[in-house]
Amino acid sequence: MVLKKRWPALAAGAVLVLAAAYALFLFPGRSEGEESLGYDADLAHTLTPDRESCTVIIVGQAASTDGSTMTTHTCDCGTCDWTWGHVPAADHKPGSMRKIYHINQYTTWPEGPKWQVYQAKGDTGFAIPQVPRTYAYHHGMFGYMNENQVAISESTIGTVRKLVNNTPAAKLDITMLSLLGMERSRTARECIQIMGELAEKYGYGFNDDGEMFAVSDPNEVWIFEIMPVGPLWTPESGKPGAVWCAQRVPDDHVSVCPNESRIGEVDLANKDFFMGSAHMVSFAVEQKLHDPASGKPFSWKRAYSPAEGSAVSSQGRRSRLWRFLDVVAPSLKLNPATPNMDLPFSVKPDKKLSVQDVMDLTRDKSYGTIFDPVKGIRGGPFQNPNYYPYTRKISVANVEYTSLVQCRTGLPNDIGGIVWVAFGPQDTSCYIPLYAGMTAVPKSFTIGDHYVFNRASARWAFDYVDFHAQVVYNAAIEDVKKAQLEHEGGAVGRIAEIDKQAQALYAKSPAKAREYLTKTCIDQADRIVAAWWELGDKLLVKYNHFGFYDSEKRTRARGQAQSEIWRKAVQMVDVWLESSPQPPAKK
Amino acid sequence: MKKRAVFFFSAAFVLASGLFPGQSEVPKAQLPVLTTSAGQSNDVNALNIVLEEAEILYDYCDVPTLEMLQGGVGLGDKESAAGFHVEVTTDLQKFPKGTPYKTAIFAIGASLKGMGASGLTVDSEEARVKKLVDYCKKNKIFVFAVHLGGEATRGPAGSDNERMIDAVAPFADGLVVVKDSNKDGRFTKIAEKAKIPLTQIDYTLGLVDVVKKMFGA
Repeated sequence: MVLKKRWPALAAGAVLVLAAAYALFLFPGRSEGEESLGYDADLAHTLTPDRESCTVIIVGQAASTDGSTMTTHTCDCGTCDWTWGHVPAADHKPGSMRKIYHINQYTTWPEGPKWQVYQAKGDTGFAIPQVPRTYAYHHGMFGYMNENQVAISESTIGTVRKLVNNTPAAKLDITMLSLLGMERSRTARECIQIMGELAEKYGYGFNDDGEMFAVSDPNEVWIFEIMPVGPLWTPESGKPGAVWCAQRVPDDHVSVCPNESRIGEVDLANKDFFMGSAHMVSFAVEQKLHDPASGKPFSWKRAYSPAEGSAVSSQGRRSRLWRFLDVVAPSLKLNPATPNMDLPFSVKPDKKLSVQDVMDLTRDKSYGTIFDPVKGIRGGPFQNPNYYPYTRKISVANVEYTSLVQCRTGLPNDIGGIVWVAFGPQDTSCYIPLYAGMTAVPKSFTIGDHYVFNRASARWAFDYVDFHAQVVYNAAIEDVKKAQLEHEGGAVGRIAEIDKQAQALYAKSPAKAREYLTKTCIDQADRIVAAWWELGDKLLVKYNHFGFYDSEKRTRARGQAQSEIWRKAVQMVDVWLESSPQPPAKK
Repeated sequence: MKKRAVFFFSAAFVLASGLFPGQSEVPKAQLPVLTTSAGQSNDVNALNIVLEEAEILYDYCDVPTLEMLQGGVGLGDKESAAGFHVEVTTDLQKFPKGTPYKTAIFAIGASLKGMGASGLTVDSEEARVKKLVDYCKKNKIFVFAVHLGGEATRGPAGSDNERMIDAVAPFADGLVVVKDSNKDGRFTKIAEKAKIPLTQIDYTLGLVDVVKKMFGA
């Protein structure tokens, strides 16, 4: 009856919904205002936007509230190994060799975490001369921070087809390079130089192609990008087996790498801001990737990793670059229709960023933009940002973990360096600190994979919460935020005290300080992981059958939290179905 | 004396063949040629670059359907899309659209990432590849298989990569592998059993000369 009374208005609404649905079918991801900004239907001439890979956020020393450098790695995958480990420092006899492994980012094995499997049966038979001493470091998918506060964050950027070299002639892939960088470097610059030289000497590629690392230490952050040189390269050719370039992010700037090359024009003479292969221009010319006769200056990204299009023209698939820069520097009023390759390498943020700000940036879902994943009915009845597939957000559901590496001056390296780790999707997870001086990581960080539920695995605790948060997302996420405030906020707040205690011990005995950091951080991690299991239980009970069960009052308040626009949309579709000719009954 | 010399040289030839097992005469193939992947690893990219270096024009599709293969040169005018790549570089003056392919080159190499991007599972990829190979054999299309990924991409028995090898290699008319892929003699055994000419190369670069000889370029 109600529907019949409202028929004219609802029918008009239904027409609008259908028109919108039809438009969405024709132009998925397109939204109002986008057409006027220019839509590019054909991005076939450029590198495919890789929607499922990693985002790196970069904060220079003078762009952070506490003077630290920070970079993040959202390890976006969905099938990868998420385990962490600690590799102790070691001394090596003269003549020792370092075994080289081909380490695939994507493969997992039922017999155990990838690191154990590689050490047991990943021998390629290839080794390079070892250095006298290798430094201690923490690793996950890549090496993240060593005992000298040299830190790495990664994003795949791709390269032109002809340069991809997946042949076994290329001995080093990006994971192996990160490990070698961790083992051998004392500064960011040294790490870059070492990785670049080894890649040129032994050949780069195999599992990987165009890749980017943010390489940082307490004073500087660099963007390092590396490309293979094609499958026809051989070590006997005498030519370099890789081409690379690095540009320093100005201290008071921030930057981002969302699977797109960020380095444009290069000035190798300016050693404070550029490093790179001597042959980067000549090789680009040889490969017909740069034409000196064009009159245009050499551009690293346009030659080696062109990513055409903008946030708008890519229908939101390439929106992360604009989104990040716009969030941190709204005063610049950057246009989402500006081609990404024309957006700045880095920007000065409108306000300095704290470690908590950076954590929150990794949780960004593009809310409030034309790419908003919960706008209208995109998020379903409970405004869940994970339903709408077109916008490539900074925070996506297929993330294995996010690392936030923080390098701080004025402290011994053991205490200055912190790797913050959040397992699973950032919006439902909690950052947990691991100091550089720790000699072990929590046991629960070393366990588990996607295919077997495991209560001993930290990652599963966070997945447990994430899974239950999906049911009534808009309500459950508020419960999660309260827990984040308590536990993540608590961990951030405790840093000053831990620093103080560790410094006092360090003055007497660095070993005692490391012992303290290890125990304190592992205890804290265990508490947070336990809290997340408990939170998962609470969410299960509270949102069971969409029930909104209140355990204290022993009441139920069913039906809350459905968005108003969703209710209206359902009514409109009902009207449309009522007025549509019914399909003939099957005989 | 002459008889003894003939005997000596014959014996030396047989001995030399025994010393270098698996190094066979490069078989002859004809244009037009289709390149494709068995397992969706990036090795097919290396294969295409080899053909470009050898100046041999080709059609390429990473996941051609049987209908596309049957459609011959031009691959039925199909266009690239997400997870589906088509490239037609065949000289259409010499081989107009629709000309049946005389050769199909399969780059063997399984990649979960590649199969995922193309919406394939190992099972569906294996079935698809078998169907293509079967069609080639029935229609006398020369099947040439290459394995360029090396030992690290091989995996244990029953692995995705091994399944792709089994789907193609035993039915090929010619095999080329980098030595690193054949450390365990797997391709040698396949070649011996099925009497397939096998060429082993140090690096992918070596494939350039092989395909030049194969197509008489």
